[in-house]
Amino acid sequence: MNILLRLQELFSPLGHLASYILAYIFESLFLVIFVTISLIVMIYVFRKYMARIQQRIGPNRVGKFGLLQLIADALKLVGKENILPKNRDDLPYKLAPAIVFVSLVLAFTILPYGDFFYLGSFTVTHSEVTIVLLFGIIAIMPIGEVLAGVSSANKYALLGALRAVAKDVSFEIPMMLSVLAIVMMASARTPSSLSLESILSSEFLPYGILEPIGLFVFFISMVARASYTPFDLGESDSELVSGHSTEYSGMRFGMFYMGMFGSIFLGSLIVSILYLGGPSGPVESSLGFIWLIIKAAILVLISFTVWLSMPRIRIDKFINFGWKYLIPIAMINLILAGIITLGWGL
Amino acid sequence: MPSSEWVELNFGPQHPSMHGVLRLKAKLDGEIVKEIEPVIGYLHRNAEKICEMTYFNDNLIYFDRMDYVGAMNMEVGYLEAAEKLLDISISERVKWIRVIMAELSRIAAHLVWAGAYGLDLGMLTPFFHCFIEREKLLTIFTEVSGSRQEVNYMCVGGVYQDITEKAIAEIEDFVREFPKRLKDIFNMLMKNDIFLSRTKGIGILDKETAISYGVTGPMLRASGVEYDVRKAEPYLVYDQVNFDIPVSYKGDNLARVLVRFEEMRQSLKIVEQAIKKIPDGPYFNPKAKKSLMIRMRGEGDVYARTESSKGEFGVYIVGDGGVKPYRVRVRSPTLRNLSVLPELAKDVMIADMIAISGTLDLVFGEIDR
Amino acid sequence: MNYTVQVIGESVGKDGRKIIKVTKENFLDLMKDLKNQGFDHLSLITGVDRKDFMEVVYHLHSMKTNEYVVVKVETRDYKVPSVAGLWNSANWDEREQYDLLGIIFEGHPNLKRLFLPENWVGHPLRKNYDMKKTQYINMDEEGNDYATFDERGGW
Repeated sequence: MNILLRLQELFSPLGHLASYILAYIFESLFLVIFVTISLIVMIYVFRKYMARIQQRIGPNRVGKFGLLQLIADALKLVGKENILPKNRDDLPYKLAPAIVFVSLVLAFTILPYGDFFYLGSFTVTHSEVTIVLLFGIIAIMPIGEVLAGVSSANKYALLGALRAVAKDVSFEIPMMLSVLAIVMMASARTPSSLSLESILSSEFLPYGILEPIGLFVFFISMVARASYTPFDLGESDSELVSGHSTEYSGMRFGMFYMGMFGSIFLGSLIVSILYLGGPSGPVESSLGFIWLIIKAAILVLISFTVWLSMPRIRIDKFINFGWKYLIPIAMINLILAGIITLGWGL
Repeated sequence: MPSSEWVELNFGPQHPSMHGVLRLKAKLDGEIVKEIEPVIGYLHRNAEKICEMTYFNDNLIYFDRMDYVGAMNMEVGYLEAAEKLLDISISERVKWIRVIMAELSRIAAHLVWAGAYGLDLGMLTPFFHCFIEREKLLTIFTEVSGSRQEVNYMCVGGVYQDITEKAIAEIEDFVREFPKRLKDIFNMLMKNDIFLSRTKGIGILDKETAISYGVTGPMLRASGVEYDVRKAEPYLVYDQVNFDIPVSYKGDNLARVLVRFEEMRQSLKIVEQAIKKIPDGPYFNPKAKKSLMIRMRGEGDVYARTESSKGEFGVYIVGDGGVKPYRVRVRSPTLRNLSVLPELAKDVMIADMIAISGTLDLVFGEIDR
Repeated sequence: MNYTVQVIGESVGKDGRKIIKVTKENFLDLMKDLKNQGFDHLSLITGVDRKDFMEVVYHLHSMKTNEYVVVKVETRDYKVPSVAGLWNSANWDEREQYDLLGIIFEGHPNLKRLFLPENWVGHPLRKNYDMKKTQYINMDEEGNDYATFDERGGW
């Protein structure tokens, strides 16, 4: 029983179709609110954590412990003038931040969140092929970055977009290869091995224990995709000013900013679902959602620590790393996964 | 690829990693920098002309604003020349005070550099740790002079006020605590593989090129030339303290980083000795104190070179017997260090160009004057 | 040090540095001679406007022997042979002196202004420079600076 069905029950006097439509609308609304709130919490935690690492206090003026700082910042961003470059390509320029943000929120609708007491699961989309859907949507996000870079008529932005393309090409492949390994292993135990939920329900050990190499490759790829400091080549601020988001201001910039934090959160959620057992905890309960969030939060903190303690890697070494190390490692992981699967089959 | 297909890109004058207002006209072939041409002058206020219009003692504030991150090195440099020109001697105590302040300023300047270099490579955290340490130094400067950065502490004939007991206690605290903190900052950078991969073997400056371009200071010493004005032509009391000149023979970014870090340790060593050795005596030579109507007059020409945190800082003053200098010429070490950048950053990646220009330790108050 | 070139005179300055005065004709030969004797570090080039002539002062230093020598040359037509071919550091130094004092260094590979915009009128460090005339700086489409006397033409 998930939230969707409960909502549909609530609206059932209105008729079958209308109740489903309303249920989907409300559920999506829930999800947008959930994503926004978790992003705000994350950015607050990030700023406090960063401040502690750098021996500062961090936000402490707006509200108690600076809790309202992010609201104030968001209001500032919304209230800011949108400065538009003169030679921009208008439609892609305006579309790009929306693509980044919308595809981020879309990706959140697919994840299996696990139960949360009597409320049930948050998940909106139920399908047999959620993995394909999820990684398809994830692949859309960089398109927004590339569009932003190409359409804003700025050489820094263009270079940032080129770097973003190079980065994505070299890191989607190992990412998909390590996902493939999981699908392969799950196929031995479940007929619908492309569905995240059945992968979760069929596992007897978290896949991170069975294939730590896959976890390593996938986590690195997720770091690269979220593009924070060791790999923030697309917007390396000391080289390319701000990369693809150079010409953006106001809420459009805010969308890129949220997109980046959202990617970190999304990446942590996906890693904990695929490799760390997702909603299943040490004790059987209806608290799956909480377990998932705890796992993701730990990964998020690890990501922040990496972010704050690393300098930026150079683009050629980064691409080399992707092609020369990660892809072969992912291949080896795939072979190991095959061996394990065969063992199960016997 | 023909040069017509290269992309021309301006880095600066407003750019996050240009340390002020440097503008680099770069010709790019994709990610590779083919040619760069530094364009400077955005902070030019012609301090040399202003100095010709002001009295000898008042010129000092314009020198404070040259290397604004380590202002007292500039004051020492100017006073070395001005006091020789005006025939004014200073007491032993003043010499020791000046040595302490110059070395503390050197540490302050290098800390700014270390933090900013982390930022250049995309590393946010060391910056704050460096500035926290620098803040302690600025507190000491406030205690002795009343202001933080552009201190205007020294004057012709001595210093404006004697160094206080409280300041000495603060300096002693700093000397005691700083080595550990410096080690933390050092480890933060050096125990990081990405940092090493960004600096090792990149931007190699060989000895002959360095000397020919007039490169001095830590950059020259990182290229294997053991030249430090404090040893080559000791001024103040540098011949009475015991310290070493760090030299590296690699000449790459990493060598320059290491030399600067070692220099901070050596400066600390000098301060430690100076605090113990500082003698009693007057802090000001009354001969320099003329009434408002009778000003000091100087004749002849004097060139004094001192070792600032960036390199050989020279001041050449020509006097014609008037109350104002006839001509003041400043040898800015960073200007020469910058002039070697087109040689270093040829056929490197954009990221390396930023990493190389970070090790030059550019301060635009001094380059543009 | 020994040099074969004819010089006007030798003296010791107030700061204890050896000063060699030389005519403009013998100047380049002397500099080549000094460079060959190990003065590998050209510390500073200074132009001093003596109102009726221009004095150019070169501070030379030898990294190996730690010797120091000052060469002075006088010019009445504001022209001096360039030493940019001998020391690379002379390149920007001479550009700076050309910019601020209007000394033309003959044979310099790229004698452009260093600090001021290319069309700036006058040389600020000259004693007869008119400081009352304000020049405003603006930037063209290419990003290069230019100077103008028009009050509204710049900032």
